[in-house]
Amino acid sequence: MGDAMKRARTILYYAVLTLLGAATIFPFFWMALNSFKSEATIFSVPPRWVPDLFGGGDPFANYRIIFRDFNWARFTVNSAVVAGLSALGQVATCSLAGFAFASMRFKGRNLLFALLLGTMMIPVQSTIIPEFLIMMRIGWLDSYLPLIVPSVLVGSFGTFMFKEHFENVPPSFIDAASIDGAGAFSIYARVYLPMAGSQIATLAIIAFMNAWNDLLRPILYVSSEKWQTVTQALTQFQSQYSARWNLILTGSVLSVLPLLVLYVFLQRYIIQSSVSSGVKG
Amino acid sequence: MSSRKLSWYRPGDPWLMLLPTVAGLALFRLGPMLGSLLLGFADWNMLTPPAFIGLGNYTELLADPVFPAVLRSTLEFSLLYVAGVMALGLAIALLLDRKARGIGFFRAAFYSPVITSAVAVGIVWSWLLSPRYGLLNNLLATLGLPEPYWLGDPRLALPTVAIVQVWKMSGYYMIIFLAGLQGIPHSLIEASKIDGASPRQRFFTIILPLLSPTTFFVLNVALIDSFKNFELIYAMTKGGPQNATNTLVYDVYLNGFVHYRTGYASALSYVLLACVALVTGLSFLAKKRWVKYQY
Repeated sequence: MGDAMKRARTILYYAVLTLLGAATIFPFFWMALNSFKSEATIFSVPPRWVPDLFGGGDPFANYRIIFRDFNWARFTVNSAVVAGLSALGQVATCSLAGFAFASMRFKGRNLLFALLLGTMMIPVQSTIIPEFLIMMRIGWLDSYLPLIVPSVLVGSFGTFMFKEHFENVPPSFIDAASIDGAGAFSIYARVYLPMAGSQIATLAIIAFMNAWNDLLRPILYVSSEKWQTVTQALTQFQSQYSARWNLILTGSVLSVLPLLVLYVFLQRYIIQSSVSSGVKG
Repeated sequence: MSSRKLSWYRPGDPWLMLLPTVAGLALFRLGPMLGSLLLGFADWNMLTPPAFIGLGNYTELLADPVFPAVLRSTLEFSLLYVAGVMALGLAIALLLDRKARGIGFFRAAFYSPVITSAVAVGIVWSWLLSPRYGLLNNLLATLGLPEPYWLGDPRLALPTVAIVQVWKMSGYYMIIFLAGLQGIPHSLIEASKIDGASPRQRFFTIILPLLSPTTFFVLNVALIDSFKNFELIYAMTKGGPQNATNTLVYDVYLNGFVHYRTGYASALSYVLLACVALVTGLSFLAKKRWVKYQY
């Protein structure tokens, strides 16, 4: 293969990659660009590539409107609280469960683990009606609780990940610690948990994202604006102000931005989660 | 083993540690599964007391003209989704499976829609695909091509939504394929090069067979994932036009929480459950036929 041929192939290779990459990135780019347009120019044909708000006027006009008139700060705080507590809670429950499954022998262990994994693939819609009735009965509607508690209590993916990791820890760690008089909980907290930094980060970020992006539970369980998450507020916004695309797109940018920032910094852990199990939620 | 070795934990410890998990399984998985089953035999709207009607909901389901349409949408979405993410995921993984400058950036870019909420994705694509002002139709008009009513035409709406979901999720499967490709021993690839195998021969006789455990895993995950399209449909079409994008998960929501037909929706949710179980069972049965685990 000659040098010219080799160079041509390299160019073709990057051309294909760039084309595919552009097809992936472009919708985000176009969304962000249009959040800097006024309502009047957002529909212009042919489309304007330089947003009108960049030339004179307030480039962040849409952002100001959405925070001032539409309570966006509150929705963002709600999403952050729900997602943050879901992440913390899942790390706690899944690491505990993973530790028990990995290091202890008890009756019903295999059955319990099989049930945990076997029910993982079930779509939430097939259990949501009784779940809704439970939430209604215990009076949790219109609060953070129904958005946090179900995912915190059963985390199949996280439990599986911690179990796999803890099974590779040599049992001598337990022997050494228990000779020093440490109980099971202190062995978990002081010996095992510190060895699972990467797993903690992976699960925390995945749980955070799932809770942030969840739609079904918020629209079923929360009706007052006070407790609405960003994702839910966005759909309400879309149906109430269907013509105001500049604001809808601004809301979309604001709903995506926090996760994209996290993604840029924690990419390793996020991608790790796909590789390690290939199961979400 | 004359004397019992002292255990380092008390007998109650594992159960204490598993308390949240057991409670969650009972309250939010197994309990509701049983609940849905029972509610499926009831006529109930959450307001008046429920009435036992046996298989009434299921016979109504079979007679309902909407139900075959829902099943067809569900199936069509699944087929398009699974074929789409597998083909695109593998193609991109093959492109990225080498050492070249900028690979990390492209990998990150292809994965980025995966972490984005389906709601935001649905909104942006609705905007790009909108009939008169959308960027795509603008482009088509400039080229003198017809401008389809992507989400408003009952024949186009479902494929359109499915393709958007493929666009969103391919990066996820790409990562799994990439891990699989990187697990293929280099010596085998090198040996085939020395033996003079063409890239095409190498792909079909070495890479594809050795990748089959990964492919099987991806197929399973994609099949199960293909039923979970609620968010995107909610954001793009709300099941319309004329039920064209009304899939099983969406129909459960519609009947349960829009029409307040709790019993009927519970029966539907069991059809959904049965579909997922069937698909998973079938793919495991098929596994033996084409998965090669030995190198």
